[in-house]
Amino acid sequence: MTAILQTVFDALSLGSLYALGALGIALIFGVMRLVNFAHGDVIAFSIFALLWPSTDVVAAVVAGNLPWFLLIPFVLAMGAGLSVLAEIVVFRRFRNASPATMMIASFALGFVIRYFLLMLFSSRPKSISLLPALSQPVEVLGARIPLLQLITILTTIAILFGLTAFLKRSRFGLEMRAAAENFTMARVLGVRANRVIMGAFALSGALAAAIALILGSQTGTADIQMGTNVMLMAFIATVIGGLGSLPGAVIAGFLLGAASVAMQVSLSIDARPFRDAFVYGAVILVLIFRPQGLLAGRGTKERV
Amino acid sequence: MKNWSKLTTALVVAAVTGAPAWAADDDRIVVGFATAESGFMQAYDKPAQDAAMIRIGEINAAGGLLGKQIEVVNADTKTDRAEGAKAGLSVIDAGADLVVVSCDYDFGSPAALTAESSGLVSFFLCAESIKAGIQGVGPHSFSASVLAAVQGATMAQWSYEKKEARSYYRLLDTWTEYNKGICDGFDWMLPQLADATLVGEDTFKNEDASIAAQITRIKSLPEEPDAIMLCTMMPGAVSAIKQIRAAGINSMILNGSAVDGSYWLSAVPDLSNFYVPVQGSIYGDDPNGDVTAFNAKYVEATGGDPSTQYVYPGYVLIDVWAKAVERAGTTDADAVVAELEKMVDEPTLFGPRTFNSEIHHQNKARYLIVETNAGTPAVVDEWTISEPIPVDALMK
Repeated sequence: MTAILQTVFDALSLGSLYALGALGIALIFGVMRLVNFAHGDVIAFSIFALLWPSTDVVAAVVAGNLPWFLLIPFVLAMGAGLSVLAEIVVFRRFRNASPATMMIASFALGFVIRYFLLMLFSSRPKSISLLPALSQPVEVLGARIPLLQLITILTTIAILFGLTAFLKRSRFGLEMRAAAENFTMARVLGVRANRVIMGAFALSGALAAAIALILGSQTGTADIQMGTNVMLMAFIATVIGGLGSLPGAVIAGFLLGAASVAMQVSLSIDARPFRDAFVYGAVILVLIFRPQGLLAGRGTKERV
Repeated sequence: MKNWSKLTTALVVAAVTGAPAWAADDDRIVVGFATAESGFMQAYDKPAQDAAMIRIGEINAAGGLLGKQIEVVNADTKTDRAEGAKAGLSVIDAGADLVVVSCDYDFGSPAALTAESSGLVSFFLCAESIKAGIQGVGPHSFSASVLAAVQGATMAQWSYEKKEARSYYRLLDTWTEYNKGICDGFDWMLPQLADATLVGEDTFKNEDASIAAQITRIKSLPEEPDAIMLCTMMPGAVSAIKQIRAAGINSMILNGSAVDGSYWLSAVPDLSNFYVPVQGSIYGDDPNGDVTAFNAKYVEATGGDPSTQYVYPGYVLIDVWAKAVERAGTTDADAVVAELEKMVDEPTLFGPRTFNSEIHHQNKARYLIVETNAGTPAVVDEWTISEPIPVDALMK
């Protein structure tokens, strides 16, 4: 019984990571039809912002030594800041470009961020003790799970509720939802496009930073490629969730996490190295039966 | 102008004989480094190359090799396989007698193959796959390090004999051949240890954001295993170790050399019961005082302490190659290879080295065992596996 409970926690915590990532990608896709492949590099940047630039093997931790109540807002601000900067410097110039052009631009931006980090910090992964108090086991209903896992799940749920309330209740959220559904119409009706898009980028960047915090404290490592894997899974989650649908992205993120953990638990030892192949196989199956995704965003439907 | 006329002559000679011009020039002894000076591999090649330069400096200060000063030429592989082949050609064109290539087999092999096709000796800075040598490049290729499998076998036998470990858990990161090599060596050794049992095994991927499911599997065992053989490397290693300890698993963790170094220990504060095999100690407590003296030289040359034991193979490679050249009385590749293949337990600063016509790598080696206790690593023992790992066990 405790083993099952433990596995459920494993699935939820991995799913939380993917859900947060998917949400960050879906938010931006919603307002400007941009699949932001630089999202993973924003994750890496947020962690490296805690270190002083140096190519030494030992990380020179500066901001990383802040107490948690300053550290967390600092990292979130870094992610949001970089994301907004990317919007102002790069994506604003592509507003009227085709989604394919924007996607390529996001790839390019991702490379620029990654090589910028490579230049400042070298390719060696840096070790960092982030929120070390979370690296201890706690007892929950008989299962001994790392405290961080519990916090990850709770934080994700809190973020989801907070974001839902923000989108449903606040004027800004209303504008954002309107823009996601029909950007031109929303603009005609007086929604300030730049503000909405910048808001979406800031939120998405802060979500990337939240992932960075979780990944950083879980792995103790800052690596210039650390965001790539989560970004890929998050992107897949936004596709099976239905591009443009925020609840779809979240549900699909959790499903992907659960599928990955379920495969790891159930596959035989010889098949386990190919776990991701099975997960992607399941993704293909979902897309065959629901090509529009689990919950298709209304804004993405073909307009007649 | 003098150089130009020399170059012209050389080019004419090359055109007439079809031989690499400068390699035939007996006035110079040239070591060519076709290694990464930029990109991902730079962080791994540079330290070993610095150590190689220290040995070259020592030889030159002592009067050179065959009475000549060793010259050095460099070409940047830019951490790119295609550029690697070009860098190999470039140092060969500059007259290299020995081509030193990137630490990793995949990144080093293009330059090594270029050297092989020119009939020159090549050395991988620190590759630990059997392919880095005769099996993957050709009869003139060597690696200065020790096979990954020896690391796994060493940790299995040492923990069994000295720590009385009996139940083992095997956790493999399927990312690289290096990782599989460690576990292959462990798999080869384990059946030879009476009443040692494998109580479970699992795999993960280096980039996995979480290995919670793998940890749950360990925790569902009726008893915590005595030792976990962790076959992985950076950066996933830190993540795996951190998550294993955060889940409250206190088993002994055995690793390969790739996790040596104290630079990452801040990520897992107060880590204990953690063991790594190393060729020499960077912690200032090597039983051989000359290693500590070398560390001081390294600090002088580079401005920083060696960060891992992967500095040392660079020193070893120049050392054994120069000895072979001295014995052969020439830099001619075949003569040097013949001398290298005669080496049996050749003493070096970092343990004895053996090469033969079957394998240009170490399938048995002395390792120091470093224990990390309460966050502080220190040498606690040394171990040499009882017999060399047979080549067919390495080739599977």
